[in-house]
Amino acid sequence: MLTPALKITNLRKVYRRGNVAVDDLSLTVEEGDFFGFLGPNGAGKSTTIHCITGIAEPTSGSIEIFGLDAVKNYREARRLVGLCTQEFNVDPFATGRQIVDWMGGYFGMRAAERKSRIDYLMERFELGPHEKKSFRELSGGLKRRVILARALVNDPKLLILDEPTAGVDVELRRILWRYLQEINGDGRTILLTSHYLEEVERLCRDIAIVNKGKIVRQGTKDEIAGAPGGLEEAYLAVTGAQAEHVAGQ
Amino acid sequence: MQDIRKPMGINWIGLGTIVRREVSRMMRVPIQAFIAPWISALLFIFIFGFVVGGRIATIGGVRYLEFVLPGILMMNVVNAAFLQSSSAIYFSRFIKFVEEILVSPLSYWEMIAGSLSVVVLRASITGVGILVMGLFFGAVHIQSFPLFLFWVVSVSAVFGLLGIIVGLWSKSFEQLNMPVVFFLTPLSMVGGVFNTVEMLPTWLRWLAWSNPFFYFINGIRGAMIGVDETPPGLGEGLTLLMLAILSVTVWRMYAKGYGLRE
Repeated sequence: MLTPALKITNLRKVYRRGNVAVDDLSLTVEEGDFFGFLGPNGAGKSTTIHCITGIAEPTSGSIEIFGLDAVKNYREARRLVGLCTQEFNVDPFATGRQIVDWMGGYFGMRAAERKSRIDYLMERFELGPHEKKSFRELSGGLKRRVILARALVNDPKLLILDEPTAGVDVELRRILWRYLQEINGDGRTILLTSHYLEEVERLCRDIAIVNKGKIVRQGTKDEIAGAPGGLEEAYLAVTGAQAEHVAGQ
Repeated sequence: MQDIRKPMGINWIGLGTIVRREVSRMMRVPIQAFIAPWISALLFIFIFGFVVGGRIATIGGVRYLEFVLPGILMMNVVNAAFLQSSSAIYFSRFIKFVEEILVSPLSYWEMIAGSLSVVVLRASITGVGILVMGLFFGAVHIQSFPLFLFWVVSVSAVFGLLGIIVGLWSKSFEQLNMPVVFFLTPLSMVGGVFNTVEMLPTWLRWLAWSNPFFYFINGIRGAMIGVDETPPGLGEGLTLLMLAILSVTVWRMYAKGYGLRE
């Protein structure tokens, strides 16, 4: 049996002021899966992702990435992960190319390897004409492309995307969808959070819905979205959200 | 094919990238990083060393200008080291791009070593600039180059580490500046830059002996002009002890994620 790409067991995260963001969350993502991780704002999606990637410290529970403990063997585990953050957490005075290049460097990629990888990503995400502009000069969509390129620079085995298409235009969304399907076809595992249910329905094979820090529904896309009303109805039923609220997103 | 279970060795490229990134940030603000301390040092050299010093015969057997130059150099090395690391870590936390480092396969020692390398680089460039100015006044002597190097590198590392601690602790720019205003500037001013301990009244000498800056300034002065007021090895020992304590403290802060992780 293959080692899962991601195995979370009884994860709990309590912030300093006592706010329980994730509560006894268990989740398994098989290698090669395209996994949708859904939930309303504040449900615990980003916190879970932060615990997986080292941005947040889990209070208890365990996280394994391809069988490597994400806390004890954090260096080896992180080598396998690429993270596209929801926020633009970059040095705003650096250029897009610098941002991606530095990330490749942190992952130990040699200069020649970085150059060819960055050239490819700049072309793929149509960043070439903008690569020497400082990040703060870029439009929202271009900023998002830089964040995506940064997440992909180390060609990760597990790619985690935290709302990658929030606020981007249709063109980029389509470029990204094509690219994600392509790398998933090559065997890369992808964990995607999104408020766009049609995006999840289009791309993902397995889905988990989280609410108030707990997994409230998990299964294949067909199991969850196959019932009358589709994914939206299933989502509303387990999160208790209002239909208008979801439609508005 | 990559063996994912193979433990990683030292991530030299990652460490070098931290240095590249910080150097790039430092070079965006050359006036703040280098020109300001050089102008300030030049004024100190000119006023205290040249104008005031011209009216003082000798001190410790050397011209007053030669006596104050090591202290002026050390004050600026301390400031450069502290400001480099404290502002770098605070800015990266404030903008949140510290997360780039947190998600990377870098050990805590690599993160700390990368930051400290830039600290030593900035402090050394600042120091070299001041030495060049001193040359124009004919006031530069280096009696022991290894010892001179020891003081520049070890003191900048000490204040680089202190800067990291303050950068991790600070929750506002106001807090970030507090140590400079209340500790660094006052303690360096009264740490023997302009006078020997002998020149102080007897009842006030404890102040110099209990001030760590005194040992740093006295140490570099010993390396440059041979005027050393402390027992041999005391200053070096205290500095290495501080370095060890601060290194462990900073490593523990990184390992616990203090100020870094949610």
